[in-house]
Amino acid sequence: MQRRFLSSISGTAGNSKTLNQGRWSVKQVKKSNFHVTLDEIRTSIESSDFIALSLQNTGSYAAAWHRVSAIDTPQTSYLKAKYAAERYQIFQFALCPFSLQGSKLTVHPYNFHLFPRDELKCGMPSYSFSCQASRLTSMAREGFDFNTCIYEGISYLSRAQESASKYLSGNPILANPITVSSSPASVADTVFVGRIRSRVKNWRQSCIDSGSKTGDDDLVSSLRRLVLGSEQYGSRLCLTIDVCSERQVQLILEMLTEFSEDVVPLLVASKSRGTQAVRTVFMSSKEDKDLFKREIQDLENKENRRVRGFREVIDLISSSQKPVISQNYLSDLTSIHAKFLGPLPANVDDFSSSLSSAFPNVVDLSQFMKEISPLSNISNLPAAMSSLNRFFAPVDVEVANQGCPVKLSENYQSHGQNAVMISQLFAKLSAIQKSDLSTVQSNEDSQDLASDEHTSFVISKNTGNENVKVWSKNSRRVSSENLVFIWGFAKKLTAAKLKNFLQKSHPVFTQEFDVKYLDRSCAIVVFWESGPSETFLSAVNNEEQLSGSLREMVAEGLRAAGYETYKRACRLGFWEADLAESLDKTLDSSDTEHDSDTKPSEINWSNDLAINFDEL
Amino acid sequence: MRRLKQWPLRPLAYSFCSSAAEAVSSSTAAAATAAFPLKHVTRSNFETTLNDLRALVKAADFVAIDLEMTGVTSAPWRDSLEFDRYDVRYLKVKDSAEKFAVVQFGVCPFRWDSRTHSFVSHPHNFFVFPRQELTFDPPAHEFLCQTTSMDFLAKYQFDFNTCIHEGISYLSRRQEEEASQRLERLHGEERNDSSGETEDLKLVRLADVLFAERMKNMLNDWRSGLLHGGNVSSESPKISNGSTQSTETVFHHMRPALSLKGFTSHQLRVINSVLGKHFGDLVYIHSNDKNSCSQNFVVYTESQSDKENLMKEAKEERKRVGERKIQSAIGFRQVIDLLASEQKLIVGHNCFLDIAHVYSKFVGPLPSTAEKFVASINSHFPYIVDTKILLNVNPMLHQRMKKSSTSLSSAFSSLCPQIEFSSRSSDSFLQQRVKIDVEVDNIRCSNWNAGGKHEAGYDAFMTGCIFAQACNHLGFDFKQHSQSDNLARNEKLEKYINRLYLSWTRGDIIDLRTGHSNADNWRVSKFKYENIVLIWNFPRKLKAREIKECICKTFGSASVISVYHIDDSAVFVFFKNSELVWDFLTLKRQLESSDGPVSVLHPLSKILEGGNTGAADYKAYKEICSSHISKVLFSDQAETVGVKSRTRPNPQDETDRREESTDAVTHKASDLIDAFLADRVEVETATPT
Repeated sequence: MQRRFLSSISGTAGNSKTLNQGRWSVKQVKKSNFHVTLDEIRTSIESSDFIALSLQNTGSYAAAWHRVSAIDTPQTSYLKAKYAAERYQIFQFALCPFSLQGSKLTVHPYNFHLFPRDELKCGMPSYSFSCQASRLTSMAREGFDFNTCIYEGISYLSRAQESASKYLSGNPILANPITVSSSPASVADTVFVGRIRSRVKNWRQSCIDSGSKTGDDDLVSSLRRLVLGSEQYGSRLCLTIDVCSERQVQLILEMLTEFSEDVVPLLVASKSRGTQAVRTVFMSSKEDKDLFKREIQDLENKENRRVRGFREVIDLISSSQKPVISQNYLSDLTSIHAKFLGPLPANVDDFSSSLSSAFPNVVDLSQFMKEISPLSNISNLPAAMSSLNRFFAPVDVEVANQGCPVKLSENYQSHGQNAVMISQLFAKLSAIQKSDLSTVQSNEDSQDLASDEHTSFVISKNTGNENVKVWSKNSRRVSSENLVFIWGFAKKLTAAKLKNFLQKSHPVFTQEFDVKYLDRSCAIVVFWESGPSETFLSAVNNEEQLSGSLREMVAEGLRAAGYETYKRACRLGFWEADLAESLDKTLDSSDTEHDSDTKPSEINWSNDLAINFDEL
Repeated sequence: MRRLKQWPLRPLAYSFCSSAAEAVSSSTAAAATAAFPLKHVTRSNFETTLNDLRALVKAADFVAIDLEMTGVTSAPWRDSLEFDRYDVRYLKVKDSAEKFAVVQFGVCPFRWDSRTHSFVSHPHNFFVFPRQELTFDPPAHEFLCQTTSMDFLAKYQFDFNTCIHEGISYLSRRQEEEASQRLERLHGEERNDSSGETEDLKLVRLADVLFAERMKNMLNDWRSGLLHGGNVSSESPKISNGSTQSTETVFHHMRPALSLKGFTSHQLRVINSVLGKHFGDLVYIHSNDKNSCSQNFVVYTESQSDKENLMKEAKEERKRVGERKIQSAIGFRQVIDLLASEQKLIVGHNCFLDIAHVYSKFVGPLPSTAEKFVASINSHFPYIVDTKILLNVNPMLHQRMKKSSTSLSSAFSSLCPQIEFSSRSSDSFLQQRVKIDVEVDNIRCSNWNAGGKHEAGYDAFMTGCIFAQACNHLGFDFKQHSQSDNLARNEKLEKYINRLYLSWTRGDIIDLRTGHSNADNWRVSKFKYENIVLIWNFPRKLKAREIKECICKTFGSASVISVYHIDDSAVFVFFKNSELVWDFLTLKRQLESSDGPVSVLHPLSKILEGGNTGAADYKAYKEICSSHISKVLFSDQAETVGVKSRTRPNPQDETDRREESTDAVTHKASDLIDAFLADRVEVETATPT
């Protein structure tokens, strides 16, 4: 009864109040109903054109300056996002495959509850994770059910972890084909190989014999088996060769290529790690061999599917190659990469290429939004939605996967609304954009929309020089060379007072410049022209040039550094609570580690890269 | 009257039981009379419970405590290892206490009731959560969760919702001091700001200029309306762009005022500067109401002195509100303060980690060394007794345990079977045991179902029971002792008080009185830590045995005593003597700096393969453990902490000790290489005997 009531609301809400923050019925997926829902999700994804997603993490940034801000280059933004993605955990993953036809938006909203369960007792998917107390408190206020999440959350393994876990399941696995022969063999190696070869030869011969001579009685065949150490693997004959090192495994596998026609090697993993033994299995025919390999592969797949858990959904999204719509491109996608694909690479380019191999099309909604309505802030979805009120672009929402098999309270259903709103916002933006372009291009269906128009918003790499956009409101591009970080003030000053002090301290400050605090410990000075920043830096660091009030300030503890130092702090991972402390540490460490990547020769960065232009 | 007041709390406790347990256990909740009575305490009943608890602790003979945390080790190698010296062990405990959060705190005061010849216990189960209650400049609070620990808590149906929604927050003493200082500073700054800062704001943007003009007109209208009577519309919702800005005439501290709503902080600053420039008798006041919602007013003052008064009042009020907020944010620490000020004997089970948590959460940051910790903890908790020590160290008790495990639950069932099954049988054997009743909300009870859930309150109760029973076995006659006798000063217990297991697996005991982990007293340390080398980032497929072989090939078969894995990525190599440690590190350095046939063919090259292998002495291990970073793999940790540089050429901090021996040693190492080239793989000369 209640359910019907709810769904009728969502049905009508779509028609009448298009932009209202609708309360759609979102299917809640937990450990218990995950596997039954999987087929439904597959169908939803296949029948949709786009996939909107929204994550709820246990934290976002630990200190004010860890937040991605306007002064960040793509690389530093990425490093900040990486740091957060590696530490925090995804508790909820809202997924909304949708399709758009004219003004009709068909959505299939799901909300997954996730929790990393160390099922193999080996620190996977994660050994531990960080929680931000304030984040948990605000989640609690929104009615988040932590018990459901922790008791019934779906676990997962990333792609990288899954391949590592193969060895832990205890099932024998097919050895990878040998590509190149390893380092030159020593005498001991040759002896070892020779011994094993003759053993395998004898065993194989006996297998062939027993295959042809069916007349042997049981006693004889079992005696022969005993003598040769032959065993059975399923219905097939096999031989287990114990090994002491990975080197020996390598040697055996190399040697076994001689018998590849009818002998298939399997690796038996030991409890701790590494390989315990090589098991050679005798194949009666070529067909038998193919069959056997398939069997083993199936067994492996079944096991993998079990440990993979929620990642199955990520794989579905990835293999569908449908455009993914995300609200917070950087933080969402780094989290997804870290949890479900593999460890995050050290720089943003490698990340982009690694990501695009799994998700070739990612639409950054905030970027799209900026094109249409430059002043809107996307971080608040309902507000962003209402800011588009001035455009006439009706969107009718229809929830396609009505009705939850699990009876849930109304409160439950509120989770995962964000993904629906993202799809709604996307639909609206598309409609607005289409009406703008309608003079040029007449009717086109949403499929085209996906392929052509949005490519400009899909994150791509452009080369450009290293500029940084400073101050969100009256944005102006400045080269990162013109930025100077200063910290270590004797007392707490407001930005205006600090500016006053600086103006009196050194001649470079007669030119136009600006001062802003990045956190409570450190401020940034922006020169609008190139040159003064270097003059100032060398003045602060050179004792002879110091004079007057600047000398006094330095004596009181003032320090200054250029943008390079900031970048290095991010790269070296000095994520202290205060930026000042991080910069201090970086300056201290610079003497010992003069390595190549101190000067990243050129940073490729797209002007469109997603940066949340929050006020500093 | 008092009784009546207590009633509502009881169903509350039940509702926690049932909400914590899933549908399965709702049947047991129905038969709640038989469930173990436990006082659950959350935000809502904290203040009243605290008042009752004060009296209970004051009257108690001892107080048992137990903690539930979100995790124990932040990385696998942070677990207690065989080769951990006591200072390293302390660092590991410190790391754990700093990173993980306490989610439940069990406090159970025990009082000897001479009337019934039994102990009365009052088990309290506090839900604790480090919620950030103070808004001004909060140090972002983060804690770690270990997935296996969370699973463990979930297995025992820990109620995370109650903990996070309803958990009691806290401030440590240090945090309270800092918050007060910050408040003081804010207060001071404000005084300076009001002097001349307001005029500083320059209106540069057109929007600001227009806004200022509009505000000026609006305020002017309002003011003249006030002064010349006339019925000016008191509410003037804003017209343009449907914004939420609105003003309303109200009274603020007996003065007519205009309440401002929906303005941005920048707009408020503009208004403030307009007031400063054009209206001498209007004052901008910013204040927080009880719900800490900020409110903004423009207040009309009659004269200059009235204006000053108003400013002063407003400032005082803000300060008062701030102080009140800090007071209420102290939260659960009041319980700790109570335990500390009453100087009662604190009883825990294997409780060093618990005490470290108490220190770091409620006193201040943990000191850097065990010695400093000991020096400081004593002033807060002068008497702590660990039942695990009692059971293992006292021969008589040890025997009584009949070699069963001394884990909390098994110690409880072997020492206190009468309580576990709450059997009041006439069995004479059971009769000699100490009788313990439970009293919650003034209802005394001596019968309950066995098998309490794994909750801090119940665990604290078990710990206290074990202690009471152990005292009884030690020949302690409670009947003879009057209330005034301090259990903590009793000579029978003296040997055990203030001694805690620093590491249970290693048997290291820390003595909180003298400040030394006097392992010598109980067990002789068998390791010479200067003989240990740490190797990490070697080819992952190498096993301990192979590493030992490689090193023995170089330094002689007797050079290495043993090799232990720290984790998959690192090993401890235990050399025969400390010279070999130095030889090994030097040789490694030389092999790395020279490329050529020597380094490729050398037996050590197997370990150095890949070029990332790091090695260092035990000092570096301590340094690695003291870092606040925790990488899952030890090799990643070592690289991140940057110990790498120590094994590279010219380690600056090692020159002191090694200056004089450098020459000799380098000769020795090059001899080694020569010898190796001369086809003498087993170089006996290089290993000093």
